[in-house]
Amino acid sequence: MFKAIVSASTLQDALESVSVLVDECKIRLNEEELAIRAVDPANVGMVDLSLEAAAFESYEADGGVIGVNLARLQDIAGMANSGDLVHLELDEETRKLHIEIDGLSYTLALIDPDSIRQEPDIPELDLPAEIVLEGAQIDRGITAADMVSDHIRLRVDEAAEAFSIEAEGDTDDVDLNLERDDLIDLTAGPADSLFSLDYLKDMNKAIPKDAEVVVELGEEFPVKLHYSFAEGMGNVTFMLAPRIQSE
Amino acid sequence: MEFAAFAARAEAIEETEADHATTVLVAALLADADGDLETVVRFLLGRVFPAHETRTLDVGPALCREAIAKAAGPNVDTADVEDRLADRGEIGAVAASYDFGGQRGLAAFGAGNGTHADGDVDGSGPTVADVDGTLRSIAAAAGDGSEGTKLDTLFGLFNRIDPPAAKILARLVLGEMRLGVGEGTVRDAIAEAFLATDAATPSDAGASGTDGDGRREDAGQDDENGEPVLTATDEDVAAVERALQVTNDYGRVAAIARDRGRPGLADQRLVVGRPVQAMLAQAGTAADALAEWDRAAVETKFDGARVQVHYAPSSPTSPGSTASTASAVDATDGIGPKLYSRNMDDVTAALPEVVELVASRVDVPVILDGEVVAVDEDGDPLPFQEVLRRFRRKHDVDRMREEVDLRFHAFDCLHAGGEDLLEAPLETRHDRLREVVPDLAATLTIADDVETIETIERRALDAGHEGIMLKNPDSPYTPGDRGKNWLKRKPDVETLDLVVTGGEWGEGRRASLFGTFEVSVRVDRAGDGEEAVHADRRFEPVGKVATGITDERLASLTDQFEPLVRSEEGTTVTFDPAVVFEVGYEEIQRSPTYGSGYALRFPRFVGVREDKDVTDADTLERLERLADAQ
Repeated sequence: MFKAIVSASTLQDALESVSVLVDECKIRLNEEELAIRAVDPANVGMVDLSLEAAAFESYEADGGVIGVNLARLQDIAGMANSGDLVHLELDEETRKLHIEIDGLSYTLALIDPDSIRQEPDIPELDLPAEIVLEGAQIDRGITAADMVSDHIRLRVDEAAEAFSIEAEGDTDDVDLNLERDDLIDLTAGPADSLFSLDYLKDMNKAIPKDAEVVVELGEEFPVKLHYSFAEGMGNVTFMLAPRIQSE
Repeated sequence: MEFAAFAARAEAIEETEADHATTVLVAALLADADGDLETVVRFLLGRVFPAHETRTLDVGPALCREAIAKAAGPNVDTADVEDRLADRGEIGAVAASYDFGGQRGLAAFGAGNGTHADGDVDGSGPTVADVDGTLRSIAAAAGDGSEGTKLDTLFGLFNRIDPPAAKILARLVLGEMRLGVGEGTVRDAIAEAFLATDAATPSDAGASGTDGDGRREDAGQDDENGEPVLTATDEDVAAVERALQVTNDYGRVAAIARDRGRPGLADQRLVVGRPVQAMLAQAGTAADALAEWDRAAVETKFDGARVQVHYAPSSPTSPGSTASTASAVDATDGIGPKLYSRNMDDVTAALPEVVELVASRVDVPVILDGEVVAVDEDGDPLPFQEVLRRFRRKHDVDRMREEVDLRFHAFDCLHAGGEDLLEAPLETRHDRLREVVPDLAATLTIADDVETIETIERRALDAGHEGIMLKNPDSPYTPGDRGKNWLKRKPDVETLDLVVTGGEWGEGRRASLFGTFEVSVRVDRAGDGEEAVHADRRFEPVGKVATGITDERLASLTDQFEPLVRSEEGTTVTFDPAVVFEVGYEEIQRSPTYGSGYALRFPRFVGVREDKDVTDADTLERLERLADAQ
């Protein structure tokens, strides 16, 4: 059983954070929250999303799992104006999701959850450095890096208490240096890792510019990016495996 | 088996040039493949799915290059990969030229998912089964966003392997293995790996096609030329070949050969709904056919597209009856009609009228072989290109159905009513065909003389068909085999430009037309003076042409020749030598009948050489040279 009403913008934000990595996913309709975990086909980037029942206008669920094509669901959600409410109801018999937006009703065929890639494990990595900054700052660094390269180096200078986003291209280089004062918070520690810009760009697309983003970083370790949306009742954690630093 | 291990052995096979040595290496690989045997066999042939499946990987070169670029980073893009491809010429070499693995996987950090059953720890590569599973998931990806999923999946695979494995993977993805391992090699290797011991019995030893010994102990030894000795007998190979023909699945046959031996292979049967390769023909002459078989089955060669029909009606007896006639029927209850092209693509949707036709005519399970031909309003055949407009159509099928009319001619029956007929003689199969689809069966005529064959050919050509097929009436149906049992009647080897020196009025309907023409070579009298040549140019006949001339054509030729009539006696006329025909033939024979001393076998009118004057016609001297060269 699943029946819920949610604001279009909350639904759109939630879907965006997953669709940047995969085109199909399982959605867990738990009693207390809606939850999605997914990993990209190359097993390099993953997302963990939860949206509390309180983030919905109304929410009734009993722990089922459905499989959806995200692009389709996003297309439908995109039909709503930002103030609209989206009504969602699962038809258990036909295994279809009925969606209603301001008089528009849509029936979405679901995908057998067993045919979707297994949900990823999320370990506690206990990463030594933690940087808290605005989504807009990450966006600035990534946009600049993308001009010169297809990979990006995230690094903490412990002595200078600074976080830097660096990109090295065939000819040109980019470096965005953010000192403690520029950041919301910084827990300095040994942290220096290289990442594929392809993946970070995709994750960055989903991160709201005004969100407070917690970046956990280590040396040659995956990065974790955490942020909240829907007034703190939605939570997203991205995790991205590093590239090997050639030097 | 680790994919890297498979790749290393594939590379060793690629480096081996000698056929026997290649077969021995492939056989050893198959013997070591254990649970991955079916996959290994398919991979060697550059396939993920068996040939009879219409599923394909569907990864294009562009996607493959993009995945390579992504795995090769940092700062390698598709254009860089394309540059290297232009340089090295082959995708495998390009893939091997990069160092993949720069991107680490989440699994190395205890994260991500367990799709990679081997743990996907950095440094441990995928197994053959992992690669197979991953490629199958790429094939299954469809719909919105699937291109990105395919790319990421392929990138993830490249990212986990080293250069030698990347070389093999890139080739596999594009289906171009370039190992020098063909289907025949795999067939021989299956026999060598799994059947050779069966042959090592005294009774079989004499029949061995190798060295008359055929013992397993010879394996790995070399003969005096340094080539390894193969121990599988011709019978072993034939058993594998037969199973391959009926199943059309190399991987499966390898596993059956290993697990159940020759008895298991012999148990394999055709399955309605699983297409087999079409039997093919080679070129041959009527004379060859009769010399070899004494009599030939002659049928029209249709200028269309080959179609294999698979159909098991859901109610095998009369409508309303619930009784099933044979157990084999139950197994294939209610399939099709399905139509497959020569390449085993499913063309059912494109040809609805053939589907309807078969469904309305057939009431037992069948596998039929035939040809679909486009026809005009009068039912006369149209060129092959017209069929093609219909054949691979996915959209607008109904509209095209209105535009291009099709006829289906069934000419062979591989299976009927639960009975496999591959090994039955052609005549028997054709009898069954006529029982099953009386009004769709193409006519098969048994002929034992060239005149009959010639008549049938003339009729076929007159009706606008491509020509005739000559088949051995006693031969089995051998899928995929371009053997000597089916012959496309050879197009004439060469043509001669001959002077028309005489003719005959036709008979009956054609009484007012010239029906046949006497054609002659030019005979120059060397040594005569220039003037004498002109005065006494002579022509000597080499045969008469009639075949392939339509009424329309005959009428216009009659108009052209009437003014040239020099003398007339009964229905026979002589012409002033003025017109040159291009004439095809099968052979030049010595003959006392004609003044030239030669006769053309199966002379055929090709066209009027309007551009040629009689002085340009071929000479007796050239004819003699051609005859000597035959």
